[in-house]
Order: sequence, then structure tokens, then C-alpha cells
Amino acid sequence: MRLPDSVTGSFLVVLGAAAAYGGWILPPVPGQPVGPNVFPLVIGCGLALCGLAIVFGIGRSFEEEEVLVPFEDGQAAASPPQEKLQGKLYGLRALLPPALLLFYVVAADRLGFIITAAIMVYVTSTALGARWKLALPLAALSPLAIHLIFGKLLRVPLPAGLLPAPW
Amino acid sequence: MSKISRRTFAASTAAVAASAAFGFKPALAQAYPARPVTVIVPWGAGGGTDATARIVAALLEKDLGQPFNVVNRTGGSGVVGHSAIATAQPDGYTIGMLTVEISMMHWQGLTDLTPKSYTPLALMNEDPPGIQVSSSSPYKTVKELADAIKAAPPGKFKASGTGQGGIWHLALVGWMQAMGLPANQVAWVPSNGAAPAMQDLAAGGLDLTTCSVPEARAIIEAGKARSLAIMAPARNPIFKDVPTLKEAMGIDYATGAWRGIAGPKNLPPEIATKLTAALKKVYDSAEYKDFMSNRGFGTVWGDAAHFASFMDKGDAQMGEAMKAAGLSKA
Amino acid sequence: MLKTLIDAFALISTWEVIIAMVAASVYGLVIGSLPGLSATMATALLVPVTFYLSPIAAIATIVAASSMAIFSGDIPGALLRIPGTPASAAYADEAYAMTRKGQAELALGAGVWFSAVGGIAGVLSLMILAPPLAEIALSFSTFEYFWLALLGLMCATLVARSSPVKAIAGMFIGLLVACIGIENPGGVPRFTFGLTDLFGGIEPIPALVGVFAVAQVMRAMLTPEPPPLPRRKFGSIMAGQWKLTKLYHWQMTRGNIVGIIIGVLPGAGADMAAWVSYAMSKRFSKEPEKFGTGHVEGLVEAGASNNASIASGWVPSLLFGIPGDTIAAIAIGVLYMKGLNPGPTLFTEKASSMYAIYLMFIIANILMIPLGIAMIRVAAYILLAPRSAIMPIIMLCCAVGSFAIGNNMFGVVTVAAFGVIGYVMEANGYPVAAMVLGIVMGTMVEQAFVTSLIKSDGSVLPFFERPVAAILAAMAIGALLWPVMVWVWRKLKPAQAAAATSR
Repeated sequence: MRLPDSVTGSFLVVLGAAAAYGGWILPPVPGQPVGPNVFPLVIGCGLALCGLAIVFGIGRSFEEEEVLVPFEDGQAAASPPQEKLQGKLYGLRALLPPALLLFYVVAADRLGFIITAAIMVYVTSTALGARWKLALPLAALSPLAIHLIFGKLLRVPLPAGLLPAPW
Repeated sequence: MSKISRRTFAASTAAVAASAAFGFKPALAQAYPARPVTVIVPWGAGGGTDATARIVAALLEKDLGQPFNVVNRTGGSGVVGHSAIATAQPDGYTIGMLTVEISMMHWQGLTDLTPKSYTPLALMNEDPPGIQVSSSSPYKTVKELADAIKAAPPGKFKASGTGQGGIWHLALVGWMQAMGLPANQVAWVPSNGAAPAMQDLAAGGLDLTTCSVPEARAIIEAGKARSLAIMAPARNPIFKDVPTLKEAMGIDYATGAWRGIAGPKNLPPEIATKLTAALKKVYDSAEYKDFMSNRGFGTVWGDAAHFASFMDKGDAQMGEAMKAAGLSKA
Repeated sequence: MLKTLIDAFALISTWEVIIAMVAASVYGLVIGSLPGLSATMATALLVPVTFYLSPIAAIATIVAASSMAIFSGDIPGALLRIPGTPASAAYADEAYAMTRKGQAELALGAGVWFSAVGGIAGVLSLMILAPPLAEIALSFSTFEYFWLALLGLMCATLVARSSPVKAIAGMFIGLLVACIGIENPGGVPRFTFGLTDLFGGIEPIPALVGVFAVAQVMRAMLTPEPPPLPRRKFGSIMAGQWKLTKLYHWQMTRGNIVGIIIGVLPGAGADMAAWVSYAMSKRFSKEPEKFGTGHVEGLVEAGASNNASIASGWVPSLLFGIPGDTIAAIAIGVLYMKGLNPGPTLFTEKASSMYAIYLMFIIANILMIPLGIAMIRVAAYILLAPRSAIMPIIMLCCAVGSFAIGNNMFGVVTVAAFGVIGYVMEANGYPVAAMVLGIVMGTMVEQAFVTSLIKSDGSVLPFFERPVAAILAAMAIGALLWPVMVWVWRKLKPAQAAAATSR
């Protein structure tokens, strides 16, 4: 996802311009000389200016090189050769966590908290390389523990769905 | 939620389905409430509406013998929670607390919900706005203040108390109109609630605030501000020295922020009657009276029919004020 | 005085209060340390519980839980780079860098020790200086708040280690996010795209959880499991702290003072205190180049400031019922609910209750040391656990925590969206912490700016006329021009040096 500065900078210019325009078209509020349209206008312009500065590389001289402090045993050397082979789709794996959260939004009311949460935990765990020996007990127990704390003790109305909690 | 509640929920949906299919009515009222009831509050935990709902829920629980669980459904400046009440199953197991915003938001085009989207059960509370000035202000009575406002060019005086188009803004507009002045005679400075407005009043940034007296109480007691009048039909027992607008100026204008309990539309009448009766008991209880007067909240009772007509009247009044202030989209 | 103190002791030495305090402390520590859950949420979820407690026990739970949760938000920040509060976002990178250097115990120990010291300094200020501090709070009108907010925003560029332009851009994005909703000066829907859920705007907490916690899980998806840390004994947590106290006593004091002052200003609160103090620490440090590489100095000052502001934030709450931050707003609700109505009468008629609140604050901050050490010891095990066991739990906490704030699924959507935004920003060198600061401060900046202009009928003069405003304006403009002056000075110096040699 590392994009050139010219791309991200241009995006900011567009975003800033859109924000400024969005502020501009807000109708004035009666009785308010300075209304809700001013702030987006100012921010939009500021954002667009920042974007321009980034496109033209102004201020890059200030940029400190990102020094990733390695773990004490020198984890910096661990570069993964085998994963480069998995092609472009490999990058899409990063979208799995937000996708799972959206799955939770859609499914929790129907399936209930326990089932939805178990699926989320199992998928995340296996995607990160866990074997079923770890992922399965984790998926079975952690939703129950979370439900006990939030649903039972703190009375957060977690949806019951198909499989209500045993308490 | 417990196991039992889910089972009975399944059972009751089955019963509703059966009744729809075979055309007989399930005997809901005798058993009601057979499982825990959810009370939706459209505002956050710790606020005044939350506190009122919690004391009402606790007393209902005591009377009706089932848990009444308060759930804060926040978001959308109250729209989300209000619509959650309106769209719930009309089975009596989800009710909620309505606030004055329900009679305001639809005028601004923020929602389609109106007071008519609910089965009103009971009006529980109303707090009138006061007119507060800083303790260093030269105006000692509301008459002096009003005369100064009349004499000044429009927009010279600055008032606050809540956001633009909020209840206290409309109270100011209504007061101006009652005096025969244009809505923008006093400029409204939007604020993030009554507390910051009272702070700004004490800091010398404003000329007056029109928030409710309980909201202004701490600053008034600290000697940083004083209340000149309240826009209510009668004086507040906690602030006996503060006159009503009618007493001080002969203007018959009163409004207020209210809270009441309602259910979704088409609540079965037996359940509605039972709940209204239980709410009446809650209202008459010493616990409720003590709790509310301790917080400085006013108590006003209205049964289902009265609450409905009260909301209709308030809705029309709000619509008028909003149109005058140019805030209405409708 | 002595009698009130004895009465206060009697009030808090009941089993109910003691049990409530210990239980709430453990609760606050656990909730605060879970990534994806926040101190504000921890406090809000306590409200129904307090309903069934006696007044003093109810306040005890709020005091204990909020103090603990603010500290323990540092724990996931240091161990996983997932700060628990917007305040700890200011220095999460620093603490995480220390963990990677093998100094987790020093970083967390500094967190617990200087938080406790800051908390106690804050209480003492509350006890001794409440009336003068309250005067400060009441002398701030929107003109002053505007400059204060501007100063707070400038910290974004100081705290970030990346390009200052990208830091400012990140801050602007945050300010833009804060524009969403109808809670703007006009009360009209702005950038809501017809979605009712956006009316209330984007809350800082789900955004914070998204850009840090979810983005962290997203990064984990693409990077290989790091080799496990060598199983070494987790060192003593308190060992180095006394040395640090002596070494950085001036930073600590400055942090306390800044925290106390920012804390009493309603609306600013702990979040801003940590940012300002961390930025000050870097600006005035003798070794600013070490900041961001795992240097404890900034943590000392920010930690000291953070918790000092929590206690002093109760000054406007108790005296005027004006909340200093979201947690104080909830606390005020509980005070009212329990008949301890804020106001000067609380200090006179209910003085023993007041002193009981003070005492509970002190006890909570002392309790924080042993309980905090125990919590750190337990939490340190996550450094040993495999990622595939930790990350799923984080995901679950994100989902439940963001739902529980308003019992609204839209919170979960917000978290997911900000996960993606945070991931993309981070990958391209835009500091997400600057965006969080923008979201936190956005409403305050706009409100202060627009309402000031409405009050002054469009004139900018009052921004400079009022004495406090003038001082703050000078500070803000000075801070803005400082980098330019440094640049000019650097340009001139070689020229002078050249002139000197050629002579």
C-alpha cells in the first residue's frame, strides 16, 4: 500500500477541494454571520495546500527517516521470501479485519453474538497462521468470556440470535 | 438477556403469527409483563434524561415485578434512539423515553418521526427555561433587560444555552415574538450545551442565557450569575424569588423541555393502560418526587391522552418558532 | 477542618466503599488495558451499577475506575502500539519503541509511577487551590479557547516524527472528520450524505480504536509472525523509577503544573494535557533527537500531566457542574443522581462528602501502584503469546467496545472504516496520531472560532484584546513562527561564521 507522495498528495488536493466546495454549498444559517460553511472551507484549503506541498516535495528535507527499532534479538533480518510469491492478491488479506467487522454488523443480529464472534475469532486466528488446535478452543471460549463480562456483568445488550449464552 | 427471555420472545412471535393466521387475539394483558422490558433512552449515560429514565425504570420494576432494563441508544443527536423506540415491536417489551427534540427535529427535516409515530403513555417531567444574566450584569430585573433589548439594534445582545435550533434557542425566539420583536433581535451564539454557555456567561462572553434553571443552578449558587425570570406558568419551588414572565412583564409565554414515556405505535391498548397506570403510581411515589426535586427537575403529570395533546400543542408551538427563526425546512 | 476530615474518613471506611473501590479499580484496570475499549466507555458502563450503591460508594467507583482506566490505557499502547485513550495516543509510539528495545518494564513502570504522582499532585491542587483554579476556568471565554485549541493542534507537528507537512495534513484530515454531523454552529447536517447515523458525528474513541487497533491487525495479516521474544524474566517495574524521578524532577513538576491548568479548563481535559506535555518535553529537552526512539523523558512528563489533569478536571465539575471532559460529564450525572449536587454548597454543607471524594482520589492513586504493577505483570504475558491468539481477541474487543458506547452498530462500522483509513495513512507516512488529535480538538476549535466571531460581530479584535487571550495569542503565534526563526537563524549563522573567518 506504499504509494508515491505525488499520488497521496494529489488525493489530498482533491479531498481538500471537495471539502471546501462542500462547505461552500452549505446554505447560510439565518442570524449567523459566520455559519457552518466557514470551517470546512478553511480546512479544505489547508488540506489542499498541504497536498500541493507534498506533491512538490516541500518539507521532505525535514523528514526523519523512519527508524524501526528492531526487537532486541534483531528481528529486522526476518524478511519473508516465500510471501512475495503469493502475488498481488496477497495484499487483499489486509482487508480481512475490516471485512470481519462488517460481517459482525450484518450477522450479529441474526446469528447472535456467540456464533458471530466465534466465526470472527476462528477466521482471524487461522489467517494469522494458527492451527485448529489453537483456533478452535479460542473461538469457543473467548466469545463466552467476553459475553460474560459485557453481556452479563455490564448489561450491554449483545444480540442473542440463534444460540443464546448459557446464563 | 437471559435464556428465558429469548424463548418467550420466540413463543410470543409464534403466538403473534398464529393469531394473524387464525384470527384470535392472544391474552397478552393478563400476563404482561412476563419477561424483562427494555427502556430505550436516546441520550447518553449520566445525563438528565438518563437519570430520569433510570429512576422511572427502577420504580416500574418494583411495581410490575419484571426487570426494566435501561438501554442508552445514542447517536444521530437523538434521532437513532427515537427511531429505535418507534420501530420496535409493539408488544410492550420495548418502550422508551421521548424528549422535546421529537417535536423539533422533523421541522428541520432531520427525520420523519413526529410525536404521532408513538403510543404516548405518560408525561413525567418538564423544565422551563430561565433567563440568566452574569452577576456583573447591570440588569437587575427582566423588565430592565427587555427594555434594553428593545432599545438596542438587532443582534447587539448575545444569548446562548444550547446549539442553533435547540430548545433554548427556540425559547428565546418565542419570548422575542411574545414581546412583538423580530426573532433575530437577540443574536444566538450556539454552544455545546448549557454548561459551556453558563461558563461563557460567567466569563463575560455573553449577555444572557435561556437554559433551564436546574442547568444554571450550580453557577447561580456560586454567585456568578442570577436568574431574572422563568418562562413557566408558575414559580419553581427551589428558586422562589425568581418571578415568571407573566408576573414580571405580563407576557403569557411559557415553554419547556419535557420528558415522557412512550411505546411504538399500535401498542395493544390493554398493555398501554396497564403501563400508564403503573407510571402514575411511579409519578406519585415519594421516591420519584424526592429524586426529581433533588436534581431540581420539575415534575409534571400527563396521562396518555393528555400527553398526546400536550405533544401536539408543543409541536405546533415549536414549528411556529422555527419558522420565525428561519430554521424550518417544512 | 479536622472534624470534617475525621467525618470523611468515617464515610469511606465502610465495607461497601472499600469493596466498591477495589472492585472498580480492578475493573478499570482490566477494561482500560483491553485494546479497543476505553476509559470513557468503562465509566459509562458503570452508571447503572452506581444506581444501586450509596452516594459515597457510587462516587468511589467512578473515581477509582476512571483513574485506573486512564493509566492502564498505556499498557496496550506500550505492548502492542494500541493506545487505550486519545491521551496515550500522544506517546504510544515512544512507549512501544521502548518495548522493542526490551525496556517495557521501564516504560510501563514510568506510566504507573508518574501517573500516581501526577494524580496525587492533581488532588492536592483540588484540595488547596480549588477556588483560584475555578477562577481560571471561569475567566476563559471562547476567545481564549480558540488560542488554546490552536496551541493544542500545533502539538501534532511536534509529536510526530515524520515530515511536518504530512503531520499537518493528518491533522487537517482529523479536523475534516470532526466537521461531520449536525453538532456544528449552524445545527445543520454537514457531510452526512443523508445518513442518520452520521448526524451525531464521528466519535473520537471509535476512530482511535480503528486507526490503531484494527490497522494493527491489518498489518499483522501481511507481515510474518515475528520470532518470539527470548523468554527472559520481566524485570523489576519500580526499580528505575526513583532514579528517573530525580533525573527528571523538573519535567515531572512541569507536567504536573501543565496538567493541572489544562485539566481545570472545561473541554480541554486529559487528552490535550498529554499532548501538550509531550510536545513541551520534546521542545525543551536537552536531547530532543532521542524522542521517538524509545526515550523515557517524554513519558515521564506526559504521564505526570495526564493524571494530574484528571483530578483537577473535577474542579469545574464540583464547583459549577461544568464537565472538564466526557468522563467528568458522566461523573456529574452520578453526583446529581446521588444528591451531591455540584455547586459551592457541596463545599460548605456537604464538606465531609467533599473530603471523602478527595481522600478517595488519593487512595485510588496509591492503590494504582500495587494493582498497576500486578496488571502490568499479567499483561506482559501477551508479549509471549503468539499473535494468532492475541489479534482475534483484539478484534472481538473492538467490535464489542465500539458497539457498547451507544449500543449502536454504527460504532462498529466506524471502527472498520477507520481501520482502513489508518492503515493507508500509516503505510504512506502520515501520522495517525495527528489525525486523532484533529478529531478530538476539531469541534472545540470550530466552536470557539465561530462563536467568537458571532459574539464580536465579525471583528477579530477581541481575539487580542482580552488579557488572557492576548497572552495565549502571543504564545500561539510565537510557536507558529518559531520554526521559521530557527530556519532564518541557521541560514544566518553560517554566513556570520563565514564572515568571521574571512576577516
